Amino acid sequence: MTDKYEIDLSVRPGDDLQDEEMAETPEVTVKRKGRGFRSGDQRGEDTQGSVFTRLSTTEDTTSGKAMKSVEGWIVLITGVHEEATEDDVNDKFGDFGEIKSIHLNLDRRTGYVKARYPGYALVEYETLSEAQEAINQMNGAKLLDQTLACDFAFIKSNSSSADDRGRRGFTPRNKGNNTGRRTGHSNSPSRH
Amino acid sequence: MPSEEFYVRYYSGHQGRYGHEFIEFELHADGRCRYANNSNYRNDSLIKKEMTVSPLMIKELKRIILDSEVMKEDDHKWPRKSVVGKQELEIRLGNEHISFETAKIGSLVDVQASDDPEGLRVFYYLVEDLRCLVFSLITLHWKVKP
Repeated sequence: MTDKYEIDLSVRPGDDLQDEEMAETPEVTVKRKGRGFRSGDQRGEDTQGSVFTRLSTTEDTTSGKAMKSVEGWIVLITGVHEEATEDDVNDKFGDFGEIKSIHLNLDRRTGYVKARYPGYALVEYETLSEAQEAINQMNGAKLLDQTLACDFAFIKSNSSSADDRGRRGFTPRNKGNNTGRRTGHSNSPSRH
Repeated sequence: MPSEEFYVRYYSGHQGRYGHEFIEFELHADGRCRYANNSNYRNDSLIKKEMTVSPLMIKELKRIILDSEVMKEDDHKWPRKSVVGKQELEIRLGNEHISFETAKIGSLVDVQASDDPEGLRVFYYLVEDLRCLVFSLITLHWKVKP
């Protein structure tokens, strides 16, 4: 085991981050928990020299914020009843155009103690007008007695915020330190 | 749109005969979604994709996380990462920030055999749900198998 401590030098082996947060630094507003904060080893970004690829945006004025996918327009439907089937979704959403593909991701975990939750579906239309009509008609409508919410699944990138940390890597693990423990500890005399 | 601090990041990988093989993805409150998959097996190469999802998608993602109650769990009794690999799940949600690290979990049998089956089950199912969501997004947006 070669655990390293990446940034926060005030952490000593054996320190319990969670208890410490709660007990000693009440002014710290972010509660942190988990072994991952102490892990200094490799994640994916170390081998990622290339940039993340994006689909290019078409210069059209009709789609607004909506973003076209490779073969069509994807509509997200939330609040889908846990017992709904693909046929149920097709019946309702097929009225606005042919559904080219459908992903119905419901919570079907067996033996789970809690009441089950509604899920969501993603459906693909070939044209923008079909997708837009489905959203207009079905957002707020009901399916198996449950109210749906519908919108485009993908939107155009707001590139100023998308590029703020560069395009190559993932967010560093210890982002959040500045609002979290480092600030809390820097003026904590009990540490040394 | 003002919103609370929110992002999710998941990593699963190992070092092995084919080098560092992993999948990693992250989603942010502003809709930015990044996905990377590196497998050197049969000369597959690194896939890195980025897209932006709508506020409704982010809202649904938050619902999935809140319903799972994963923020109440703690990873200290979960199986430690091993040569087989590790998984990391980091979630920042408002004033709570978790970064859980554990071994790869093959099935619910591993969950049952652990020292914290209830907590690990929450993690296991949530990870399934998150992977399912991201794979659906990739499949539909890019028409590739993630």
